[in-house]
Amino acid sequence: MKHALYIFGFTILVSAFYWYVSLWVPQKRTEPPEDIAISADLSTAEMVAIGEEIVAGKGTCLTCHTMGESGAALRFPDLGNIGAIAATRVEGQGDVTYLAESMYDPNAYVLPGFVAGMPAVARPPVALTDDEILTVIAYLQSLGGTPTVTMATELEWQGQSIGAADAAPVAVGGNRDAETLFTSYLCNTCHNLDGTPGAGPSLEGLGTRLTKAEIYESILDPDATITEGFAPGVMGTMLTATGFREQVSAQELQSLVDYLAGL
Amino acid sequence: MTCFCRTKAVRALLVGLVASAAVVLLCEPALAAPQEADPDYRALPFISSRVVMWIIAELHLMFAAFVLAVPMFALVLEFIGYKTGDKRFDQLAYDFTKLLSVSFSFTATLGALLTFGLIVLYPALTKYLVKVFSWTFLPYVLLFFFEAVFLYAYYYGWGKFSPRVHLFLGLMLNIVGTAIMFIANAWLTFMNTPSGVDELGNLTSLWDAINNYIWMPINIHRLIANMAFGGAIGAAYGAYKFLGARTMEEKAHYDWMGYTGNFIAICALLPLPFAGYWLGVEIYAYDQSLGITLMGGTFSWLFIIQAVLIGNLFLAANYYLWLSMSRIAGAERYRRFIKYLLGVITLCFIVWATPHSLVATVEEARAMGGSHHPILNVLGVMSAKNTAVNLLILTTYVSFLLYRRANKDATVSWARTGNLVQFGIFAVVVIFVVFLGVYGYFVDAQTRIGLSQPQVFSVLFAMVAVTVIDLFLFRGARKRGEIDWGRIPARAQYALFFLAITFAWLMGLMGYVRAGMRQHWHVYGVIRDTSVDAFTPTLGFAGLVVSITVIIFFLFIAVVFFLSGLSSRKDWAERTKGTRRWFRRAKQEQSDSTLSVEAS
Repeated sequence: MKHALYIFGFTILVSAFYWYVSLWVPQKRTEPPEDIAISADLSTAEMVAIGEEIVAGKGTCLTCHTMGESGAALRFPDLGNIGAIAATRVEGQGDVTYLAESMYDPNAYVLPGFVAGMPAVARPPVALTDDEILTVIAYLQSLGGTPTVTMATELEWQGQSIGAADAAPVAVGGNRDAETLFTSYLCNTCHNLDGTPGAGPSLEGLGTRLTKAEIYESILDPDATITEGFAPGVMGTMLTATGFREQVSAQELQSLVDYLAGL
Repeated sequence: MTCFCRTKAVRALLVGLVASAAVVLLCEPALAAPQEADPDYRALPFISSRVVMWIIAELHLMFAAFVLAVPMFALVLEFIGYKTGDKRFDQLAYDFTKLLSVSFSFTATLGALLTFGLIVLYPALTKYLVKVFSWTFLPYVLLFFFEAVFLYAYYYGWGKFSPRVHLFLGLMLNIVGTAIMFIANAWLTFMNTPSGVDELGNLTSLWDAINNYIWMPINIHRLIANMAFGGAIGAAYGAYKFLGARTMEEKAHYDWMGYTGNFIAICALLPLPFAGYWLGVEIYAYDQSLGITLMGGTFSWLFIIQAVLIGNLFLAANYYLWLSMSRIAGAERYRRFIKYLLGVITLCFIVWATPHSLVATVEEARAMGGSHHPILNVLGVMSAKNTAVNLLILTTYVSFLLYRRANKDATVSWARTGNLVQFGIFAVVVIFVVFLGVYGYFVDAQTRIGLSQPQVFSVLFAMVAVTVIDLFLFRGARKRGEIDWGRIPARAQYALFFLAITFAWLMGLMGYVRAGMRQHWHVYGVIRDTSVDAFTPTLGFAGLVVSITVIIFFLFIAVVFFLSGLSSRKDWAERTKGTRRWFRRAKQEQSDSTLSVEAS
């Protein structure tokens, strides 16, 4: 009986140790991608914004593609400058057609040096709708080029999507993840976005006043440059109190800076 | 009296009527409500349905793995006993088999619980899977019936049939058990890599649905993993009995049992990474993004936890082997090598568990110039990890080799040459493996992935070639002494428990990632998870669930060990014969003295 108790205690100890090990690694809860409602009268800028969101979210493109420096893997071609080179990939094929074919029928043409294997994004499990694909094309064109695609553009593959009818409408606009970060890290408790100063200066039009590098610095080292009329040390204390420095990932920080630069 | 009975009966009848009326009234709204369509999900109070199903499924898998593995090595041990005439093997096989009958009942009960849970909590998914696989259920049930027949015939027929008939029963038990596993594997692998259905999920070919991309890799992977797991649990049983043994004879027997179980576990563990590699290749072949989600995306950090677990398995297995050498006369001369082996294992363990990107604060990330450490980054990539794991396998093999030859001196004329050739093979393979590891840093990803195969095959070649040479080298060898079974410290038994717990935890973790890589899909790309549990939890939460599952599993296993041990206990009447006699005598004496007092 004594041995049985020792062994049971040992089992709990070892299991608890392995649980502790599982707590060492980054803790990330992955939510299922949200479906996006797209209206027929989106402007090009709105299409690009939505396309960017789909590329990083529902489209799962960044699982395999890099996007300049922000991607995570390099299994398929980098898309950082795709808007500038898409029209030159296949002779006689315009950039919109090339990008559309790459998504609807990705293995029709495989860039030399890479292996076939990309799933058709209009099919499950990705299952983008025709409208979503148009926004992705707009975003890809914007990467080094100028978007020419509109919501009225017709593509020969349209009508093949599966699951479009199941899409649940969800409001969309702007960089939602960064907006969430802005509130979840309590930035909004001191900084207003409407021009009125709070405990900290208003961030309205921040992108026109500061470069991204300066925004980056003002988050990481807030006392390096103090806006006139505000006390040094306050933001640093707030960042410590909210645990911002311990919690924020490099990707989140970049996302936050991009968002603030766009204000 | 009659009146009283009648009153009681009337009162009972009244209570019954009131209770029935209450039940009817309570149920009335539900009975009166119009029939609604079946919901997709049902929820449990207080706890997530997914967590409950997760724990039940994993417990079922653990018991099933054990129940399928034990007959495999029991049959092999029995066969060795039959061919060599050594009764110890037969006894050992029987000792392992004793664990089966209770475990079989646990497996079946947990399987039923899993099925009912799916029907109640996930009706839509269950309905879809039933639609696709309905034709596989009848053979499954029939095979299950046959498994019960063969299992009980094998267990209760021990010593009652001729050895050949009994071996045949064992063989049939294994064949039927494996077939059952193959059918169940078809269901679960279909959920990851569905085939044989169109894009709307309609069945087009049952055989294609069964023979999906990862069906056969999972079959093979599970066969091997079951052996490893079963061996480890068998070894834990040996350790448990060893610690409670009262005689040297018992200690010797259970020491041997623990050693054999561990030997089976480690032998099965060594080829497991290769089966895992095949499984990974098939996942990538089915859908690259699924493969990348598994290895390079959400779950990439899970493989750091896996590295810690497997590193611990190797450390504990080697530690046990080194402690085991204390029972062998002549092993002292090899002790000086242990520190070097430990050094290599530790180094490989560290490399294998080094993450590619680090968890760092913003200041640290800025100082490093990114999330990749300037030095450790070099060790966190595939080239370094493949090299480390191959050297880890090779080092464990060396430990085993030293154990094997501990009490022997080769007497063949070519002994020195043979040793040199063995050393040469090791040296060449180590250099080759390290060279390919370094070379991997200078080539593109596709070539780098391809380098893992020559690394693996060279290590396999070394193990096979050295073993063959060793067999001939030590034929007719002079013995320095016998193995003194039972002379081993108690901490060696805890090393066996540690191995069993680690194996169980590893199994739980890999079970999680196999299901988790589907993320928000029940059937990948076909049936989407729209429940409140559609998210992929953090690894810490998954670790907690796995830990709880492992603890519950070992509680159940403790019951199995206890019940299995009952058969070797003396009968109650025999055990308590002395006590009862004493009690009777004491009572008699007391009665006599009372009588004499009364008489006087």
